Amino acid sequence: MGTSFAAEEEHDKPHGYNISDNVDILAEIMSRLDGRSLGVAACVCRVWYAVCNRDSVWEALCDRHVSGGDAGPGTRSVVRALGGYRRLYRLCVGPVLDRLTGSTGPDRWTGARADSVEVRGNVSLSLSLSLFSIDCYERLSGGSLRPASLLFLSKPVDVS
Amino acid sequence: MGPYTYGSMPELDGILAGAGYHVRSSDLRHVADSLERLESAMVGGNDAAASIPDSVHYNPSDLTAWVDTILSDLTHTQPCPPLPLPVSSTWTDQVCPQLHQTAVIAAQQREEESGIRLVHLLMNCAEAVQHGDNPLAQALLDEIHHVLTRVNPSRGIGKVAAYFSNALRRRIHSSPHPHMSPSDHVLLYHHFYESSPYLKFAHFTSNQAILESFEGHDRVHVIDFNLMEGLQWPALIQALALRPNGPPFLRLTAVGPPSSTGRDELRDVGLRLAELARSVRVRFAFRGIAANRLDDVRPWMLHVAPGEAVAVNAVLQLHRLLGDQNAIDSVLGWVSGLRPKIVTMVEQEADHNKPGFLDRFAEALFYYSTVFDSLEAGGIHYQKLAEAYLEREICNVVCSEGSERIERHEPLVRWMDRLGRAGLRPVHLGSNAFKQASMLLTLFSAEGYCVEEVDGCLTLGWHGRPLFSASAWCGCDDDVAPVGYNNNSNSNNVTPDMIHDNTSTTSTSNT
Repeated sequence: MGTSFAAEEEHDKPHGYNISDNVDILAEIMSRLDGRSLGVAACVCRVWYAVCNRDSVWEALCDRHVSGGDAGPGTRSVVRALGGYRRLYRLCVGPVLDRLTGSTGPDRWTGARADSVEVRGNVSLSLSLSLFSIDCYERLSGGSLRPASLLFLSKPVDVS
Repeated sequence: MGPYTYGSMPELDGILAGAGYHVRSSDLRHVADSLERLESAMVGGNDAAASIPDSVHYNPSDLTAWVDTILSDLTHTQPCPPLPLPVSSTWTDQVCPQLHQTAVIAAQQREEESGIRLVHLLMNCAEAVQHGDNPLAQALLDEIHHVLTRVNPSRGIGKVAAYFSNALRRRIHSSPHPHMSPSDHVLLYHHFYESSPYLKFAHFTSNQAILESFEGHDRVHVIDFNLMEGLQWPALIQALALRPNGPPFLRLTAVGPPSSTGRDELRDVGLRLAELARSVRVRFAFRGIAANRLDDVRPWMLHVAPGEAVAVNAVLQLHRLLGDQNAIDSVLGWVSGLRPKIVTMVEQEADHNKPGFLDRFAEALFYYSTVFDSLEAGGIHYQKLAEAYLEREICNVVCSEGSERIERHEPLVRWMDRLGRAGLRPVHLGSNAFKQASMLLTLFSAEGYCVEEVDGCLTLGWHGRPLFSASAWCGCDDDVAPVGYNNNSNSNNVTPDMIHDNTSTTSTSNT
């Protein structure tokens, strides 16, 4: 690479600003993403991984799709105690949303969906938390109870 | 192998034509199905190979005709005259979906005919058993076994018929089901819980009724007639934690079988529930009661304190007491005497307590076929062990008598009568319970489950046939505080005459 390349790079890059410098703004942006995009974003770099794993980001996502019951500080402490919003989304809210919106095919993973990123449909808070609490309880049991009561929410894996 | 003739006969499948077989593309599915049936007929039937004449040669290049001819040769020696269907045709509706190809429809009809024949044979065998004609019953069982080799034994009517014929065989030979340890029973129960919505429906509906009845009370006491792994209670603990005015002090008294392994399993479950309650900051106390039968439990063991709201939870338990009229009356009597705020009862919606064996058998055949059908449609993991759970129930209904027969299911109308006579009045399960049940069902991949509301009770069924019913009852007037049963304060009461019962230690968790 010659010096001419370096000069062009300097011209194209906005001077001195990198989104990863300001993690709070990054978190604000992340909290508006859908579940799959958050997962993808977490793979970008260490800073993004840390931001995307903030429970507040997943809390914002869950709050958008969960209805019924006030999502106040009481709810937050219960969800945190049971395993956190990220786990809640992964185990309960996410699969339920997929089931409700009927997106179960491979399109989900290629992202080629006609109805864009905004997933419609709401999940009942009480139902999600009930299922989540059962999962937490099963994990508490250590070896005696396999956490399996939520398997019915995910697609069965065909191992034939 | 000739060159591709793809261009000259466009309707032939090009790839197979390249291999020397002429098959129309539109026939490919038919040929594939026929080959499957051919394979199973040749592998399964012992006399199949002998019946194919050696001297006739078939031209395999016309694949469709070749497969059809071989199949018809194999199956023409096994006549299956269609018999009138003695019971309602639920399976046949499900066995025969809309199809376009007549060959596949013919195969389905053959299976359906075998299914009808199996039902007919099972009913005849049950009638023979009722009349005590064991040799005839045994002969019919052998015939059933023969027909079972011709149907698919891993699904549909074949599977159900296999279970019921095994149960009949046990009854004829008086060989009881091998004893199962409580931990194995818990395992099967867990698989049944995971593979179908029935138990989840039972738990969630009961919890909703309990939650609503506990409104405004600071001290609440839940009495569970069958703890198992306590899977019902995390959801209630969580819901109480999120109550707008803060969680109450929750006491859980749970009945379970005495431990066979030496570990205090009731206490272990209680400790786990206590830990969950502690993490969500709900004050919680647990007491376990080890008893083999519910009528061994006495109200004083429950330590109901004055001023607390009592909920009694009986999921699939009360029917076990129906073998003895005194047992059910005494239990319902003291339940009513506790003046509970709510009694939640979930029972199978079936009449498996008829005195006549044939009637009972027919009812059970219909009921469990529907349940197995729903399990199959779910196609979810753990199905085999869930079926083993149901198989024990089937064996109990068919093989056992007297005090051994505990699966004495009765329909909801009879329970309503019975609980009414015991002094409990019905409480309507609200629209919240109905909505929650409907939402729960949308999460299950199988479509065919239906929730219905009948006289304030909810029933969960499959394709219009109700299978489980959930109802709620109240034993006290709203403004009257429940009467407590005060007794001595130490928690390890064992009376000399109660050999099997003891109260386990209380695990308390406070915030």
